[in-house]
Amino acid sequence: MIENFLVGTATLFGDPFTIGIFIFGVLGGMLFGAIPGVSMLTLAAILLPFTADLSPAQGVMLFAVIYCTGTYGGAITAILFNIPGAPENAPTAFDGYPMTQKGMAGKAVGAAVLCSAIGGVASALVMMSATEPLAQWAIMNIGPPEIFALVFFGLAVASSVGGRTIWKGWLSVLLGLLIATIGQDPVGGINRFNFGYSDLAAGIAFVPAILGFFAVSEIFIQAEKNVSGKYSAPKFNVDFPSFFELWAHKIAVVRSIFVGFFCGILPGIGATLAAFMGYGEAVRWSKNKSEFGTGKLEGVISSETANNAATGAAMIPLLALGLPGGALTAMMVAVFQMHDLEPGPLVFYNSPELIWIVFAAMFYANLSILFVGLIETKTILYLLKIPFQFLAPMILMLASIGAYISRGLVLDVIVMFIAGIIGFLLRRSGYSIPGIVLGLILGKIGEQNFAQGMQMVHYDLGTYFSRPICTILIVAGVLTLLKSLHSAFFQKPKVI
Amino acid sequence: MKLNLKKQFSTLALVTSFAATASMSLAGECRVAEASMDKPGGFPDRALTMIVPYGPGGGSGQVAAAMAEAVTGLTGVSINRDHKPGGSGTVGMTAYMAAPADGYNVLEHIDDASSAHALDSSRPNPAEDLIPLVVSQVTFSQIYIRSNETRYTDWPSFVAWVQAQDGKATIANVSKEGSMERVIMKFITEASDMQIQQISFDKGAPRYGALLGGQVDALFEQPGDVRKFLDAGNFKPILTVFNERPGVFSDVPTHREMGMDFEPLLRFRGFYVHKDAPSDRVDWLKWAFQRAYCEDSYQAFNDSKFMNVIDSYRDTAGAIDMINAAIVQYRDVYKEMGLDVK
Repeated sequence: MIENFLVGTATLFGDPFTIGIFIFGVLGGMLFGAIPGVSMLTLAAILLPFTADLSPAQGVMLFAVIYCTGTYGGAITAILFNIPGAPENAPTAFDGYPMTQKGMAGKAVGAAVLCSAIGGVASALVMMSATEPLAQWAIMNIGPPEIFALVFFGLAVASSVGGRTIWKGWLSVLLGLLIATIGQDPVGGINRFNFGYSDLAAGIAFVPAILGFFAVSEIFIQAEKNVSGKYSAPKFNVDFPSFFELWAHKIAVVRSIFVGFFCGILPGIGATLAAFMGYGEAVRWSKNKSEFGTGKLEGVISSETANNAATGAAMIPLLALGLPGGALTAMMVAVFQMHDLEPGPLVFYNSPELIWIVFAAMFYANLSILFVGLIETKTILYLLKIPFQFLAPMILMLASIGAYISRGLVLDVIVMFIAGIIGFLLRRSGYSIPGIVLGLILGKIGEQNFAQGMQMVHYDLGTYFSRPICTILIVAGVLTLLKSLHSAFFQKPKVI
Repeated sequence: MKLNLKKQFSTLALVTSFAATASMSLAGECRVAEASMDKPGGFPDRALTMIVPYGPGGGSGQVAAAMAEAVTGLTGVSINRDHKPGGSGTVGMTAYMAAPADGYNVLEHIDDASSAHALDSSRPNPAEDLIPLVVSQVTFSQIYIRSNETRYTDWPSFVAWVQAQDGKATIANVSKEGSMERVIMKFITEASDMQIQQISFDKGAPRYGALLGGQVDALFEQPGDVRKFLDAGNFKPILTVFNERPGVFSDVPTHREMGMDFEPLLRFRGFYVHKDAPSDRVDWLKWAFQRAYCEDSYQAFNDSKFMNVIDSYRDTAGAIDMINAAIVQYRDVYKEMGLDVK
């Protein structure tokens, strides 16, 4: 492995043009990942035709690098402005933005940079050492029932995040689950709650919903404070977290690496579930669950470690089996095909040099997050000095563009503003925005896999429990729910 | 409810389908003589927009990219692809119908548009409300099993095994009720007198992963979408749903050979323009898209997707015939299935 890695490294950095492509991918991924709506997918779609003029290794390597740095890029705007660049950065905003409001933006961004790099590098190392056996294990043992059980396990802890009481947390999660049912059902393609609008047949897209619930509702809240004279600008601070602060969260980092990697390796799941599950596990194992959603460093660490840990893992089913884990890895298939190659078992035998250049590039791209991210962060934090009356319209404009551009539908802009108004009203009443978003995103994934799983077990719920992984996750989820209910009856409301 | 399979196909459907079979030898041939065409009144003097009702990574996204590249290579006119996925193509179709009918906006769509109109006539009819520029991919479906499967190795043993499972056997398929895949599976199960649980996967990767990992017993798919698994020796086809054995699958029996007497529904992907677009512009677009089909880059793409196994080309008239036949065929089937045909 080490010899192959060194050969891949030498090939990657032995040619100036290849180095140029690598640097372009690092910077482009970070930039496009940071702008909401204009995600790394946008950059990848723009670049796809040009990869025909590159060698196969250069083309696939470019996309792999964009995947690594693009997954990190959205964390910055999530932390500074409550605008997640992509759904996989949404959990980062749960605690990252409250940290910014408390004058701890530097610590949040620094932790995001470091943990993205750690998660990505760890994932790349596992990817390099065990791609084929891991892919085979995942494909043989994890099916729709297990994925549903995983989502159920994740949702069980969601009520703890951000609500004034656990009851309000649960109502928020249920609202998210309800929103997730809009659009065609995952089994028969029957329209639900679309009120005759064909555009709603596709359901509520994640990006406009997230932008509305996070960014727009926040603008409304800050505007209200501004009008009533209660507004105070976030304190400007560029202090990064100290070594000891980060070391105190070592268990959270390791746990998120495992969670992120596990989610990333599942075909069709990817980094979004990884980030939410990583965050959820941090809440589950914390002694101070109620502090999550109010600006807890561990929330940022868990989310950002997990989503980057999913990047290397998502390459495993792609390269070993030809099964893309998400939209960007699906585009990588097109890059392979443009060069008359097919990802899958044969690529390890037919094009080993390509594989090892990609592996090496992903390793160094994750390291680059650390260096480029730290340099970039010192500059980008100065955006916080912009007065609110200038910053708010800029954020609204950016969010509107982001909501529109992902599908080119005016409906998505409308959805964003409606979500913003609902979010504004619910936040005032102590309901949980993270809970709604968790319900929305996990609900869509969960419903689809539940329906598939039920078909597989012939609508016999008891058969679910004949699958060991499924049983363990569901039992653990039920225990979490019971604990949550116990707390709900004996918990005093939080003062937020 | 048993379907009366022999009754439900119109003469038109039969003619079109047999024409597809008979023209297998024409697969990949260029049938547009003119290598160039003057731009009418300078049209187009800017980039075209191609609305694609599916994501960039799937079959539609890939054919849209390949055709856009070929048209640009042929004419020098850029094409911006605008992906509007969702609602089984309805989101993209709605967006396209609302776009200006000036010839600068074209649409990529698949046979789902025809089946959607068959079920609900208020939905656009691709043969009447739009003008087909070209259908550039026509393909058939197959049933696959894992190559290392030992419980069954061919279609007869598969049917026998499924029948012995008393409805517990599973096959991965797409999710939408009334889709081409679901309708064909209904034909197959009824004609073979077997019950099999269809597992709904709306994305390709989990669908293929389910077969690879043994989560399901078989897979319904088109050969181009699983070519890498065929080349790698992971999957093998045991049934071809087509009237003749295509050359590259000469060892795989057809459904007719296995005693199933129904006319196969085909997957087709094509490109369209508004019916109200200026006629001289439509003529130029027809030429550009039909000629682009002949470009080496497009032919290489179709080859890589098993899309030259049977004749994948239909010009405007051929596409209209194919769409009309499909609509009649789907409508008859939906009525027999008891669906609410509007």
